[in-house]
Amino acid sequence: MLTANIDNLKAGGASERRSALLGLARRLTNKRAAPLFVLIALCVLITIANPSFIEPRNLVRIANSAAVPLTLAMGLTFIILLGSIDLSVEGSLSVAAMVVVLLAANDANTNQFGWLAVFAAIAASTVMGLATGLIQTMLRIPSFMATLGVWFIGLGISVYMLGGSAVRLMDPSIRNLALARFAGLPLGVWVALGAFAFACTIQYHTRLGRYIMAIGGGEDLAELSGVNVRRVRILAFGLAGFFFGMAGVLSAAQLGRSDAVIADGRLFAAVTAVVVGGTALTGGEGGVVNTLIGVLIVTILGNGMILLGVSPYVQQTAQGLMIIAAVALSLDRIRLQIVK
Amino acid sequence: MDRITKSRFGAMNRRSFLTTIAAGATVAALPKTLFAADKPTLVTSIRSLSNPYHAVWKSGAEAFAKSVGLDHVTLVSEGNSEKGIADIKALLAKTGGNMVLNSDPNDTPDARPIVEACAKAGAYVVTQWNKPADLHPRDFNPYYVSHIEFDGTVSGKLIAEILFKSIGGSGGIVALGGQISNTAAIERKQGLEAALAANPDIKLLDFQVANWKSSEAYDLTGNLLTRFGDQVKGIWAANDDMGTGALEALRAEGLAGKVPVVGVDGIKAAVDAVRNGEFAATVTSDPFWQGGMGLSIALQALEKKFDPTTQPPDHREFYGKAVLISKDNVEEYYKTNIESQPTVDWNDLWGRVTGPIRS
Repeated sequence: MLTANIDNLKAGGASERRSALLGLARRLTNKRAAPLFVLIALCVLITIANPSFIEPRNLVRIANSAAVPLTLAMGLTFIILLGSIDLSVEGSLSVAAMVVVLLAANDANTNQFGWLAVFAAIAASTVMGLATGLIQTMLRIPSFMATLGVWFIGLGISVYMLGGSAVRLMDPSIRNLALARFAGLPLGVWVALGAFAFACTIQYHTRLGRYIMAIGGGEDLAELSGVNVRRVRILAFGLAGFFFGMAGVLSAAQLGRSDAVIADGRLFAAVTAVVVGGTALTGGEGGVVNTLIGVLIVTILGNGMILLGVSPYVQQTAQGLMIIAAVALSLDRIRLQIVK
Repeated sequence: MDRITKSRFGAMNRRSFLTTIAAGATVAALPKTLFAADKPTLVTSIRSLSNPYHAVWKSGAEAFAKSVGLDHVTLVSEGNSEKGIADIKALLAKTGGNMVLNSDPNDTPDARPIVEACAKAGAYVVTQWNKPADLHPRDFNPYYVSHIEFDGTVSGKLIAEILFKSIGGSGGIVALGGQISNTAAIERKQGLEAALAANPDIKLLDFQVANWKSSEAYDLTGNLLTRFGDQVKGIWAANDDMGTGALEALRAEGLAGKVPVVGVDGIKAAVDAVRNGEFAATVTSDPFWQGGMGLSIALQALEKKFDPTTQPPDHREFYGKAVLISKDNVEEYYKTNIESQPTVDWNDLWGRVTGPIRS
């Protein structure tokens, strides 16, 4: 009796284990999890090649490098989920960085507004985002062109205000975002994690987040279901501006200064991170968690290539190959009817 | 009437990027006759005002214009070669050729159409940094007065030697280069390599490319510190933007001031860093001098104060003397160049000639 029971149990345990394995295998083949596996594979490969990758010191550095791109990409994710694109990343970031250095203690004027400067910077960038949304929805200009315009307007404003020079940020408490640490991580990393938590809340627990997904999945359907598309779009661009502003402050704090070209190259890195994470450029698919993974992939790849001593002459090629590989793995080709 | 319009024009053209654009539009709109006065117009043609380098260039040009009491116009190409050339041609037409041009051509091939247009209109021109190797001032006598460059190899070597000295002559360094295909980046790297060859005790741990950018240098430096840790005794950067980015990465690790950094350009942040011992040195081509002296050379040729055709070859195509800023002279440099506007003897045309340009 007892033996039989044990046998039964054994049989049951085995089949359960088998189904768990099957489930795992199924999840492995699930395209959605692909970016996560790319990330894990990347970490394992780099660690094998150079064990110092896994040292806590290096992980802190990676987190520090990822802070600005992560905050930026949070904002961009919402816009890409809408099925739009926001090219104003660099313009908004440089405006925020400009506002924070010019209002906080700096070496170009006598302002000393401390943390008010930070709020002003984020507010300025948020207003730019809202303006972008208004331009896009009211003037019915495609987001590509509207945000391209705002990019140049933002850049022009910072060039004008900074007079072409680099202004140093001297406020020690703002500099502490990069220099001071809490629990081993620079404060800027905690801010970026806060931004991530905030973005998660918006995407998964608010109506705005769901509406954004709905519009990205099918704008006409969303509108027919009673979603105020215009309002959601304006809010989404404002939200993106908010994150770009945070990134601008972090960026200025890290580099200890701001010039008009402080954001050079950030747009491309952010779009890459969002797409590599598995958010579709067509909208309605993916999300901020994907973007977190995408940012980590891109940052770790950069870190790893240095650790492996990859020659700068081939790094760009390697990066390009990785991007294509990551996107190829995460694309759901069966559902993809056309490629454009 | 003539005078009033001109002074208003000068006021608009004073400080900023936007007003410069407005001034450019005004120039285009002004009737030809206004410029046909006897006084020549001074014209500066540069890439953009969004970088500190060209902003200082412009203030040098304005200081010179003030010293001779002539009108000065700044043309900004914004990295667009066609715009750069078209703006110059428009101004040549408006002034009837009665102008001098000091140009930092946006790209190497641009120098030829610019010089040809000036020679055709009878305007005197000085180019800096970029020109094709087969374009020579002597082929456009007397209008193409001079071409000025700064030897990147010398700068790269100079700062490398100071870096080596400041780390005691032995140990590991990492280097951050500019864009791979850029001439200045290649030359400065060659200078570094020459210095390394002469100092076998210094080990170049790694050479990485940060594309002239502060933010890229910041991330790269953190990664290089992971790979080499305490072996990194010094950092060589091909410009100050990257150097200051590296410095901030060091600061985040508590290493600022312990690992010396060197760069090129002499931007204010780097000069400050030299003052407080975080940078070992920086070297500058002195854009203030470049902006004023280019105009001065061309103007004196136009005023027939010297005859370009009889000048020796190293006055027609030459390397200028770069200014080194290190611990020894930084306080003086700070006083004369940062706290106040530098005073340059604009009549000393050839004082900084170091030799003819290598072909």
